[in-house]
Amino acid sequence: MKRYRYLILFALMFIQCSTDDADEINLNLAEEEIFDNKDSSLASNNDSTLTEQEATPDSGNSNTTISFEHKEMLINWADNIILPSLTDLEFSLNQLNEKATLFVNTPSNDNLLVLRESWLNSFLKWQHVEMFDLGYAEEIYYKNRLNLYPTNIERIEDNISSLDYDLNQSYNFSSQGFNGLDYMLFGIGQDDDEIVSKYLAEDLNYDKYLIDLIDKMVELTLAVKNSWNDEFRESFINSIDNTSTSSINTIINDFVYYFEKGFRANKIGIAAGVFSNNVLPDRVEAYHGKIYSKLLVTEASYAIDNFFNGRYYNDNDSSGLSINAYLNFIENDQDEKLAEKINEQLDKIFAQLDQLDNDLSMQVVENNLSMLSTYDVIQANVVLLKVDMLQKLNINVDYADADGD
Amino acid sequence: MYKIVQDYYSKKNEHPASLALFRITFGGLMFFSFLRFWSKGWIETLYINPSYHFKYFGFEWVIDFGPYTYLLFVIGLIASFFVMIGYKYRAAIISFFLVFTYIELIDKTTYLNHYYLTSCLAFVLCFLPAGNYFSLDSYFSGQKGNRVPAWSVDVLKIFICIVYFYAGIAKINSDWLLEAQPLSLWLKSKYDLPLLGQNLMQYRVTHYLASWFGMLYDVCIPFFLLFSRTRHIAFVFVVIFHVLTRIFFPSIGMFPYIMISSAVIFFDTRVHLKLLSFIESTLVITTSFLGLKKKQLTTNIQAQTSQANQLIFFLLGCFLIIQLLFPFRYLMYPGELFWNEQGYRFSWRVMLVEKRGDITFKIKDSVSQRFFYVKNEDFLTPFQEKQMSFQPDFILEFAHHLGAYYKDEGHQNIQVFADSFVALNGRPSQRFIDPNFNLLNTEESFKNKEWILPLNDEIKGL
Repeated sequence: MKRYRYLILFALMFIQCSTDDADEINLNLAEEEIFDNKDSSLASNNDSTLTEQEATPDSGNSNTTISFEHKEMLINWADNIILPSLTDLEFSLNQLNEKATLFVNTPSNDNLLVLRESWLNSFLKWQHVEMFDLGYAEEIYYKNRLNLYPTNIERIEDNISSLDYDLNQSYNFSSQGFNGLDYMLFGIGQDDDEIVSKYLAEDLNYDKYLIDLIDKMVELTLAVKNSWNDEFRESFINSIDNTSTSSINTIINDFVYYFEKGFRANKIGIAAGVFSNNVLPDRVEAYHGKIYSKLLVTEASYAIDNFFNGRYYNDNDSSGLSINAYLNFIENDQDEKLAEKINEQLDKIFAQLDQLDNDLSMQVVENNLSMLSTYDVIQANVVLLKVDMLQKLNINVDYADADGD
Repeated sequence: MYKIVQDYYSKKNEHPASLALFRITFGGLMFFSFLRFWSKGWIETLYINPSYHFKYFGFEWVIDFGPYTYLLFVIGLIASFFVMIGYKYRAAIISFFLVFTYIELIDKTTYLNHYYLTSCLAFVLCFLPAGNYFSLDSYFSGQKGNRVPAWSVDVLKIFICIVYFYAGIAKINSDWLLEAQPLSLWLKSKYDLPLLGQNLMQYRVTHYLASWFGMLYDVCIPFFLLFSRTRHIAFVFVVIFHVLTRIFFPSIGMFPYIMISSAVIFFDTRVHLKLLSFIESTLVITTSFLGLKKKQLTTNIQAQTSQANQLIFFLLGCFLIIQLLFPFRYLMYPGELFWNEQGYRFSWRVMLVEKRGDITFKIKDSVSQRFFYVKNEDFLTPFQEKQMSFQPDFILEFAHHLGAYYKDEGHQNIQVFADSFVALNGRPSQRFIDPNFNLLNTEESFKNKEWILPLNDEIKGL
């Protein structure tokens, strides 16, 4: 009994501490954070937010923020960013399907151009989806099936001539998706006439393979979208813990991973020869289309920026809780904000990308130095995201399971 | 002075129950730890799967045995079980010490203070008469246990005191006490704790209280455990403290349990006897159920003390002196200890810093000036990569591994440079390794690593 007395005493001490502080401060922070966001236009659209802001003159950068609505951030990601981008991609892929059907029914140079335009449109929308490699998307290797490059041309030609292929097999991941289409629309002939002629020759089966690829992309995208519409959204927004499998940790890990691998390495580094002795011009995204590689990287950089700052997919002028807001909450007692540094570095990335040639495979051959300096500018942000940000958020970068001390 | 030591050494003795109880809990915990380690699949992921292991300086010869590494764990399981039941105690504890330490030496990526603690305790136990009372050895031999020299119990107490006290004074630094770092970073991220997460864990004052309490606890607890008047309350604090650390930092694994059970040694013999007779009463039920002959385990003991051994007394004395001095070896290195980690390990610096890093290695041909970057994941597991990213000796070792690898690949005039950034205790990241220093130009040694760039800040304290 004597021992329990101390236990109770200690517990009381603890409770005492907590009630003391809790009375002091009580603010609604979620909205305050939105207001703090420099990119947000909520303040001008939403009068109620404005009044609350005036009612608490002490807010802003002061350290009164005591809690953060993690769930609200997850809802913003799910409802305003992930689902809308998937919906838009699916819509655009269906249009692509129509254009492709039109083209294979009546192959012509004009229809080819229309089809290419539709392909590019979908490919750009894909850049907003790729980083969310979680849930069903991760299960089915969605990102590998839609955007693995370089494309395996030999396998595509084998598949077409044999008509014996299963796109669900992993060895076929590099012969489908957007880069598979890139080859089918730009690479199978020297010029447009030759390409169209291959589709005109029905016994060559190019038309069938083209339609199969697009059907598969539609099918997969629809499945991923539906998984979000069904139970996954619920479990996603309710998993607010800080554990290696919780939504926040998963998605932030995905984001950092995408930034480092999908964006920095795949879109810039590998072609620039950063990981090899020589430049590798054929490793750029949409290699056969030539002039689209920079456009796609640039779009991806916007997607990164939008996600980091919590901007709505359908309305970039609106935003909700985001990594930016979360970091500002954690750093509410600090003058130098990490989120600002990351945003500044993103601006430098935009500026660097702007200077590159539209055709990145041309860029690495003619002036790889500016490609390399683009890589360096991106790498500087890898450090900020992977080292500084993950430390502030105390999120583990790896899923290696072991004890620590 | 010599007289005092002489008397202490040869005259003072204690009831063997203390050592017997320590042996049982230690063996039992280790048995459970091995099972836990196995069941989590870590033998596979930490020892067998990695194609490369980071080695302790001087222990490069320690290798894993592929799938046969499991055998080491089988031996460990058997040995720890035998230690617990006191069967062939001496052979069991020596095998346990060797096997456990060998496993730890396979890869320094897995270094943890409590693994080192385990090795140290097992080492000491190899020399203590912990097996001839309340054990199968004494059951079979039918001999009554001897009293044991007081120093054989005291060596454990002093060692545990050193662990606590050194862990405490390591926290006397400006980051811990004045900035409440890294606890501030860690506690803020505990927003998901029920009831406390969204309020208490977010307050600055909580972070300071926790930091100061943690430091004071570590520094004071050895003394409170040593004095009989404060011992009971001290033990309550030991339990509370370690249970709290287990709740807040689930990843610290077995450490809390090891510390709690070790602290039991501070109680006097009566408590130990009581606990032993409790164990015995449960055993009696089992043995009578099995139809075995009942035999009193906590029998009266013989009056004489077991043969004291001067050599062991001297050896364990040296062990304690080394324990006292070794953690201060960092003073021989310039620069910030938390940053360059020269003399950081094996010093009871537990849960002391938050460090993250990112590192890429540049392989350069010194003649053609051509270079490329390495993908670390081609060689390392995510866990190894993470540990390497902020520890200079790992970085140097891996640089040499890369040098050798690319030489085999036919590359020439190889230079290896590190592009590396580290963030310490919430500071902004800064460059860690001199990017213009060819890491192949130096070998691992105890000399100061001049190629570590200094921390742009000062942390005052021990």
